[in-house]
Amino acid sequence: MTDFLPILYRELIIYKKRLLKLSYVLSALISPLIYLAVFGFGLGENLTVTGTNYITFLLPGLIAMTSMTNSYIWIANGLNIDRLYFKTFQLLVQAPIKPIAILMGIITAGIIRGLFASSLIISVDLLCCTSFYPNGIFWLGLLLNCFMFSTLGVIIGMITKSHEETAIYSNFLMVPMAFFSGTFFPLEKLPFFVKPLIYALPLTYSTILIRKSQWDRVALLSLFITIGFSLMFLFLALRLIKNYKE
Amino acid sequence: MVISIETKGVWKSYGSVWAVKDLNLEVRKGEIFGLLGPNGAGKTTTLKILTFLTKPDRGSCKIEGLDIWKYPLVVKSRISVIPQEINLDKELNAYENLLIYCMLHKIRDKKHKIEEALRFVGLWEYRKEEIRKFSLGMQKRLLLARSFLNDPSVIFLDEPTTGLDPQIRREIWTFIKKAKDKGKTILLTTHYIEEAEYLCDRVAIMNKGEIIACGTPQELKNQVGLWVLESLNDAGFEYEFFKTREEALLKAREKEGPVTIRKSNLEDIFIRLTGEKID
Repeated sequence: MTDFLPILYRELIIYKKRLLKLSYVLSALISPLIYLAVFGFGLGENLTVTGTNYITFLLPGLIAMTSMTNSYIWIANGLNIDRLYFKTFQLLVQAPIKPIAILMGIITAGIIRGLFASSLIISVDLLCCTSFYPNGIFWLGLLLNCFMFSTLGVIIGMITKSHEETAIYSNFLMVPMAFFSGTFFPLEKLPFFVKPLIYALPLTYSTILIRKSQWDRVALLSLFITIGFSLMFLFLALRLIKNYKE
Repeated sequence: MVISIETKGVWKSYGSVWAVKDLNLEVRKGEIFGLLGPNGAGKTTTLKILTFLTKPDRGSCKIEGLDIWKYPLVVKSRISVIPQEINLDKELNAYENLLIYCMLHKIRDKKHKIEEALRFVGLWEYRKEEIRKFSLGMQKRLLLARSFLNDPSVIFLDEPTTGLDPQIRREIWTFIKKAKDKGKTILLTTHYIEEAEYLCDRVAIMNKGEIIACGTPQELKNQVGLWVLESLNDAGFEYEFFKTREEALLKAREKEGPVTIRKSNLEDIFIRLTGEKID
């Protein structure tokens, strides 16, 4: 049960060292803060979306996006580099621990990174005194979002054959998701022909969940779909680690 | 005679290329066994199969009598691997690297064991230095220190001294000899003839995925001849093998150009068996 702890501990030591270099914190936050400044404070209180002001609408979307990016990117890039360049992934494969422990260690580290970056955006929210208040559904959605994208990060980190390939996947997966999953505007406003694409993206459902103020049919459906995506990614990631070979 | 590492009928291909062909190997407990051969001979693939980094297409592998694919966790707790490419965490310091290894292998009394290992390889004073500041020789020594932490029965070394200067190479050889003195079984790959001759109790010579000869260095030399007559003709160097120096001298008198008579080495055996040199 505790076999994942050494992997988590390693990831956290490295993360702590990187955080001490301020550039890593800034790079994690630069995009959401720019979006917040431009779209949120730029459009300000004057714009109303789904019955609330735009900053209140935007903030949970940005948190979903930030948690996705930070959980995913660090894991996908880190795993790819550890596997192909530093070869440190070999150590995990050769250690007397089960593949599930390796996976859980990496995923937990991804969740912590996602939650840490999200907490910084939440701090901005608290400082700006918006009308958005994190509730239970929000925290559950956020946690699932971090889990889901850490696991996706493992899949991409395991299948890519070079660092450049990881960047390509990130561009084709993360960028469309960041813009089309309801981060910046309500899904209802989008034209009908893009809706099938939008509802195929996992971030769409976790963003819905993160925005919900109370449980209803849509929230429950989003919860189940998010769990479904997470389990599917988990299964694939575990298979990749189990069948690892050089 | 207890067998520590055993492979039977192991085949491994990458695409249409056979990296290992029908590998049958027996490494005895407590010996230093060398896989010698040129690049691409299948040495590293063999090591990767035995250390869980790749799976064979067919065949079986046992370590300490246990099938490595049936009992992976037990086998992994009894082995250590020193890879050719340094797989230390560059962002961590020496101590942290060993600490993570101890945690992964559930080693008790971590602090004491790490200190003992670092002092053994002369790196205790550098324990707080980041790995990226270490020279290649220091990194190799740290890999050695790491490999002793879980008190393995079997240590695998893949080209342990490639790229090192002669002085550091000698140091690494001393550490490997000390590990043998502690009763460890050691399987190493190398393409350095003098390394195989100096370290190994027995050697398997590999070429194109196959073992073409196996035995003690002396046995192998006896097979082809203890003395070599090296002569230069229009086609290049020619090597002829003789049981005694006198036989070689007799033959040398028939030669017109310059000749050299010397004792044979493992590379000569490779040349004799394959017609090629080890690069």
